[in-house]
Amino acid sequence: MEKIGLYLGCNIPLKAPDIEQSIRQILPPLGVEPVDLEGAACCPAWGTAPSFDLDTWCAVSSRNITLAEEQGLDIMTGCNSCFGVLSEAKHFMEDGERRRTVNQKLAKINRSFEGTSDIYHIAHVLHKKVGMEKIREGLKFDLGGLKIAVQTGCHSLWPSDVYAVKEENPYQPTILKDLCEATGAEVPHYSRLGACCGMGGMRSTDMEKSLKLFKEKLVSIKEETDADMIVTTCSSCFLQFDMSQPILRERGEIDFEPLPTFYYTQLLALAMGCDPSQVAALSQIDRSAIIARIQDEQRLIKEVA
Amino acid sequence: MLVEQKKIDEAVATIIGFGGTGILNCVQCGACSAVCPGVKAGFPLLCRNLIRSLLNGQLEEIIEDSSSWGCQACNRCTEVCPQGVRPQEVVFAFRRYQANELAFSTSAVTSQMNLYETGHAVFTDPKELRRQVGLPEVPPTSAFNKQAQEEIQALIDNGPMGELGLF
Repeated sequence: MEKIGLYLGCNIPLKAPDIEQSIRQILPPLGVEPVDLEGAACCPAWGTAPSFDLDTWCAVSSRNITLAEEQGLDIMTGCNSCFGVLSEAKHFMEDGERRRTVNQKLAKINRSFEGTSDIYHIAHVLHKKVGMEKIREGLKFDLGGLKIAVQTGCHSLWPSDVYAVKEENPYQPTILKDLCEATGAEVPHYSRLGACCGMGGMRSTDMEKSLKLFKEKLVSIKEETDADMIVTTCSSCFLQFDMSQPILRERGEIDFEPLPTFYYTQLLALAMGCDPSQVAALSQIDRSAIIARIQDEQRLIKEVA
Repeated sequence: MLVEQKKIDEAVATIIGFGGTGILNCVQCGACSAVCPGVKAGFPLLCRNLIRSLLNGQLEEIIEDSSSWGCQACNRCTEVCPQGVRPQEVVFAFRRYQANELAFSTSAVTSQMNLYETGHAVFTDPKELRRQVGLPEVPPTSAFNKQAQEEIQALIDNGPMGELGLF
């Protein structure tokens, strides 16, 4: 079984541990063994060290990366922001002078960045290493007839020159679409597919601007796809879709019920037959009806069942 | 507007010093602003507009503007820029200039404190939620790991962030 360092970040282990649980449950049956990176810290988030000092950013990111290097592992993260921050820091560390400066800082905590671990998003691991066929083989329920609107999120797409795995066209990403279609579900296109959801620094700086952007994306999804659910590979987008739809509904700014939203590995875990009380337990929006539809016994794939 | 060469030089040197090394490549084409979610949402000083202000020598004049903190760090601008400016690095360099002058909202202090004390910018006690979903209460992160926290504190203390008097 292929081992990979599981870098958790902040939101997933602390606020959405059901996403962590879904990651831990789906990978071994698909032939990947996640290995904990004991003592891993924040990537660090854009609003912290990256907003103050480049070398401190690179030092904190590099420390996280060394936790995988010392075990001879690549890094896999479920959080788009972490993926972006770690990938960019690794890119900055290719500059010899920066690497020397940062390694002097790391030496004080008995660490050294070597650049031997690659940074992957879990979507990349599932898409490139596991592959669609293996995902299909692992399904317990066929999601045929269900309609999914996908949200890839910004930080696994741009800037493509710093990422180990790239989309063919980052403005029209297809990795998450392929992953969702592997479950049997339908994934219709919508015009604001590549648009930002408004989470992140924007939401903490000006919530109304964030909601304005979010609403435009959401309405595009609803009107153009009438999806049964939204599926994302970004834990920040997940929080925005789950927190902000009820706000817009409450204010009367949308005239439809909030669309249930899942992180991709939650959807896959449900389709693989995992217990929803462990892998999809925490959300503002009630997901019980769509979970019941996903795990409806009429969807059971006979060979597996 | 009266433009002074000395002020331009100072603004450019400041931005380059904080990591916006491509600023002088900008030809003000606006491709960055066309794809920027922050510009679309209505923040006045991001991408092309911010670079124009800086290239006109404005620095202190715009220090209180919060636009840079609305940047999503999405790097769409970097992807489309035909001049290799990497506009996000300019936005972040300006943000670093603001941050090092303590010109940022008090709400941003909490995440610095969280990072320093727990190693997590976003921190809430996760034990109950983790137990509920069948995971060990303590995650394998820095959250409750004293040695990891001390390593993070050492890295922060040994840099400009440690000199701001936040911790």
